Amino acid sequence: MKEPLAAAVREPPPCGLQHLRSVNMASTMSASTSKRKVLPWIEGTLLGVFLFLPLVLEHYWVLFTTRIVILGLLALSFDMVWGYVGILSFGQALFFGGAGYSTALLATKLGVTSALILLPAALLAGLLISLVMAAIILFGKRSPTAVFVALGTLTGSYVVERLLRGWSYVGGQNGIPSLPRLTIGTMEIEEGIGFYYLAFGLLVLVYVGLRWAVRSQFGLVLAGIREQEERLAFLGYQTQTYKGIVFCLAGMIAGLSGGLYSFHEGFVGPAQLGPVFSTQVALYSMFGGAGTLIGAVIGTGSIEAVGYYVSQYWETGWPILLGMLLLAIVTYRPAGLISLVVSERERIGTFGGEAVSASDNIAERCHEHA
Amino acid sequence: MTAADVAPFLFDVVGSMAIFVLAVLGLGVIASMMGIFNFAHGEFLLLGAYTVYLAHEAGLPTWVGMIAAPFVVALIALGLERTIIRRFYATPVAAMISTFAIGLVLRESVRLLLGGQFYSVEAPLIGAFFIGDVALSKWRVVIILMTVIVLAASYLFLSRSTLGLYVRASLENPGLARASAIPTSRVYAGTFAFGAALAGLAGGLMVPIYSLNADIGVPFLIKSFLAVMVGGVGSFEGSVLGASFIGAGAAGLPWAIKPVVADVLLFLVAILFVKYRPTGLLSLWRK
Repeated sequence: MKEPLAAAVREPPPCGLQHLRSVNMASTMSASTSKRKVLPWIEGTLLGVFLFLPLVLEHYWVLFTTRIVILGLLALSFDMVWGYVGILSFGQALFFGGAGYSTALLATKLGVTSALILLPAALLAGLLISLVMAAIILFGKRSPTAVFVALGTLTGSYVVERLLRGWSYVGGQNGIPSLPRLTIGTMEIEEGIGFYYLAFGLLVLVYVGLRWAVRSQFGLVLAGIREQEERLAFLGYQTQTYKGIVFCLAGMIAGLSGGLYSFHEGFVGPAQLGPVFSTQVALYSMFGGAGTLIGAVIGTGSIEAVGYYVSQYWETGWPILLGMLLLAIVTYRPAGLISLVVSERERIGTFGGEAVSASDNIAERCHEHA
Repeated sequence: MTAADVAPFLFDVVGSMAIFVLAVLGLGVIASMMGIFNFAHGEFLLLGAYTVYLAHEAGLPTWVGMIAAPFVVALIALGLERTIIRRFYATPVAAMISTFAIGLVLRESVRLLLGGQFYSVEAPLIGAFFIGDVALSKWRVVIILMTVIVLAASYLFLSRSTLGLYVRASLENPGLARASAIPTSRVYAGTFAFGAALAGLAGGLMVPIYSLNADIGVPFLIKSFLAVMVGGVGSFEGSVLGASFIGAGAAGLPWAIKPVVADVLLFLVAILFVKYRPTGLLSLWRK
């Protein structure tokens, strides 16, 4: 899964993270690596396609694409924790479903339907649940092992699903059906084109925000944590805190996605926060390519689309095929589909501008440590 | 409370513990010896169960299927190890994902073959032993005995035989083991197959108690992982100990509180325990 940084930095760098800054600088690298950037083109194309797609599709397909957009948000949240700080979280469905349940309860028990209240509530629910999860799993005197985090989050997902299945107040096995429609002011947001643009607008917002964050100085620290957590800790970074921040941020995004999903389907059920769904999200992101953001969206779209077509002809065979696809990807293309067109160097990317604040000036720190 | 009231309860707990210990042992061996957390473990149990079902369908006696189960599963696991899993020894996280994918393929394939039905297979031994007026199901007694035998045999194999020494050496220091002419790659393959065989056996013995369907292994997976971590990864005794604790809790707690709450409580306690004692139960008195 985790390859070393680009070939440029095979030897251990003299100090700190300086080498990260040299990655992808237009230096005299081998002539074979092109300097053209592919990612912005991919992002631009997808943005254009998704922007006009619902105008030409039939209603059923608009619903289908909306689902992809909403699940893409969820895959983005997994990509943040796994692709950027190396936390293998099998709990993303818990934040997703937890926020779905919270907003559904607000709507059914208190009669709140305003999107301006429910969507922030979904964000908040995702944040709170992921805070609790982070407190139990991530924080502590010792930094937890990757296996423990994976198991802990998986267990959390499983436990809450079990609890909800047995709790009649929230509908037990059946969940909460027939949710009202979201409203903005007096306008109802109908499933279809209206809902699509709401979801898509949020996806673009979140995407742009994340893109900016992972390419900033903050993102540089995250990349450092992913590649060499110990070194970062020795440099004086509170790696645990950084991980916690990213984990909770991803929890919020998953929550937002869960709130949207529940109201789009008009239903929320215990399966939406179980371990099966959690692992499904991991598949989306890894399939497309972890640590690229856009890969998560591509993975979601391609798995959902292929899944739809295969199930048409061979209903029971699809999960088998999915498993085989995943196996092939992990074995032969650990960097995901996107690595077919995006070079490793571009995936790691460049960070921030040249304006470096004093506190983050790694070069300076290096001199202090040297 | 008389002895007649307590005895069935104890027997039930011990019986469930025995199956669970057997199920966890294979996972524990693979995790401890190779550092691979095998997400397909539940499916190895399922394959063992499915072998028994196939033998039963072919008109063979059930016990033939149960004897065949560990060998069948070991062979399948050997094939998987040689083709796929051996690529991932250096990357534990990728190993988790690949075994998860393998599990998905196995589970769904069995589902396809079973047609989503539930099947039950009768135990080779039916009836009960009576001690006074307490009935003990014969089959459960057999399972408890089998578990004890398998435990003892595995322990002796690992601690007393040359092969066991190779296995432990490959775990401790693969580089040095290779330098000492131990074929670590083959040892790993053998260990993986051995762990899978234990799972196959557990799955085979389980069939008469649980009805067979494709999802039979899923609840075992998370519990097994927790058991291994509670016991302490890296030692044979740790897995047994952790499995005994979790197994006893899973079987005993529902007598006292609601099953759902019991499950949740058990998991939470296990997770918190592992958080504060990552080295596991054994380290509590092996300072």
